[in-house]
Amino acid sequence: MQEAKIKFDHVTKIFETRSQTITAVKDYSMEIQAGEFISILGPSGCGKSTLIRMLDGIIDTTEGDILIDGVKVNHKGKKMPSSVLRKLGFIFQQPNMLPWYTVRQNVALPLRVFGLKGPEWDNRVEELLEMVGLKEYADAHPNEISGGMLQRAGVIRAMVHDPEILLMDEPFGALDEMTREQMNMELLEIWEKTGKTIIFITHNIEEAVLLSSRVYVMGTNPGRLVETVTLDLPRPRKLSMITQKDFIEYRQLLESYIGEIDLSKIK
Amino acid sequence: MAQSTPVRRTPKKERDPKRIIAPLVVLAVLYIGLEIFLRVFNVAAYVMPTPTHIIQATISSFHIILPDFLFTLKIICVGFCIAIPAGILLAALFSQFDILVKAMQPVVIWLVITPMITLIPLMTLWLGTDPNLRVIIVIIQATPIICLNTLNGFTHVEREKLELARSVGASKLQTFVSIIFMNALPQVFTGIKLGCIFSTIGAVSADFVSRGQGLGDRIIKFTKYSNFEESYGCIILIALIGITLYTVVEMIEKRIVLWKK
Repeated sequence: MQEAKIKFDHVTKIFETRSQTITAVKDYSMEIQAGEFISILGPSGCGKSTLIRMLDGIIDTTEGDILIDGVKVNHKGKKMPSSVLRKLGFIFQQPNMLPWYTVRQNVALPLRVFGLKGPEWDNRVEELLEMVGLKEYADAHPNEISGGMLQRAGVIRAMVHDPEILLMDEPFGALDEMTREQMNMELLEIWEKTGKTIIFITHNIEEAVLLSSRVYVMGTNPGRLVETVTLDLPRPRKLSMITQKDFIEYRQLLESYIGEIDLSKIK
Repeated sequence: MAQSTPVRRTPKKERDPKRIIAPLVVLAVLYIGLEIFLRVFNVAAYVMPTPTHIIQATISSFHIILPDFLFTLKIICVGFCIAIPAGILLAALFSQFDILVKAMQPVVIWLVITPMITLIPLMTLWLGTDPNLRVIIVIIQATPIICLNTLNGFTHVEREKLELARSVGASKLQTFVSIIFMNALPQVFTGIKLGCIFSTIGAVSADFVSRGQGLGDRIIKFTKYSNFEESYGCIILIALIGITLYTVVEMIEKRIVLWKK
C-alpha cells in the first residue's frame, strides 16, 4: 500500500491551565493520501483547529506522532524545521493579513521567511495575484479592500511557497453565504488543477459534503474522532449537486452523527 | 511598481484647507475676544495682560529671553531624543521575558506617576549644579511613559498573527521586527507624543527648582519684577516648543503608520 502523505498516530493534546486540565484532542488517528481533499467536521470546541495547528507546528502535541511522508515531524518544545513547514500552507479563519504591509508584501511573506528569492518566485506572486483577481489591488493596504478579497489573499499567501499540503481552518466561515459558495468552487478548481493535499476544517455539513472525498466527524469532551464517512460522489463537484438524492443522504447521515454528539454533551 | 492603484492615495485630508484654517480662526477669535474683554473690564496687568501687550513686551525683551529659550530648547530636545530610544529599548528588553513584564510594569507605572522634579534637590547633591544635568530630569521624566506605552503594544499582539509567524517558521528576530514591533507602532507613537509633554514639564520644573537659567527661571524673575507681559510671553514660548515637537512627531507618524485609517 502507498505510504500516507499525512498520518496522525494516536495523537493527544492536553491543555493545562491553572484551574483545569482540558483534553482538546484525545487519541486521534487518521491517514491521508497524497492529493486527497478531506474535511474534518465537528461542533466548536471539538479540537479540530487544535488538530491542524499541531500538524503545522503552531502548537505542540502532548502524546502521539504526526508523520508527513513517513517522517515524524512533531518534536516537543522544538520549532518545526523549515523543510517540513515548506510542505505546508495554513489558511486562517480570518484573512489574518498584516495591516502594515501591502497585499503583495503580505502574499510574499512566506517567501521572505523561507528565503525563496529570484524572478521565478516574484513571477509566482504575480501569477497568484492575477489568478484570484487581486492584481490591481496588489499595492493597496489590507484595510482598503473587501473581506472576500482579503480572504483570497490569505489563500494565495498559503500557496505562494508551493506547498504540497493546504491546511484550512474554517477559511470562509467569516464570509457571507454567496461569497463563500463562490470561494468553495474556486477552491475546488485550484485543487483539481494543482493536485494538492487539502485538510479542510468546517462546522458546516453541506460544505464538507460538497468539497471533500472523506469526512472525519469529531466530537467534544474530549475532542475525539467519532466517525469516518467516505463520500462516493462524482467529480467535479457542482453546486447543483446539493439537491441530488445521494448528496442529501450523506448530509442526513452526517447530521445524525453530529446530533448524537450534541445529545451526549447534554448528558 | 510605479503605477498606483485606484484605491490607494488618500492624502487629500492633509491638504484639506479646513484643517488649517479652522484652528487659525479659533485663535483669532480668542485673541480678539480676550483683547476686548480685558480692555472693557479693565483687568489689571498682574491678573492678565492683553495679548497685544504680551506680544509687544516679549518682542522688546527678546534679547533677554533668547539665551534662556535656547537653553530650555536644548534641554528638552536632547532629553527627549535620548528618552525615545531608551523607552523603546527598555520595553523591547522587558517584553522578551514574561516575568520581566509582570515585574516591571508596576515599577514603570510608579515611575510615570512620581513627579521627577522631587528628585532635583537630591540630584544636585549627587551630581553637582551644572544646569546641563537637567537633561537627566527630562530623561527620567519622559522615558517611563514612552516605555509603558510601547510595552503595552509589544504585549498585545493578536494570537493569530503570532501563529502566522510560527506557521512559516519565522525566527524570534523576524517575528519581533515584522510583527510585534510593527503591531506596536501606533502605541509607540502615542508614547512618544506623551513623551513630548512630559519632557517639557520636566525641563521647566527643573528650572523652577534649580534656578539660574532656563525659561522656567526667567518666568520667576519676570514675575518677581512685575513684568507680567514677559512672564506670559515665556509661557507661550514653552507651549510653542511643546506644540512644535508634538506636531513633528505627528507628521512622522502619519508618514509611517499608513494603515490606521
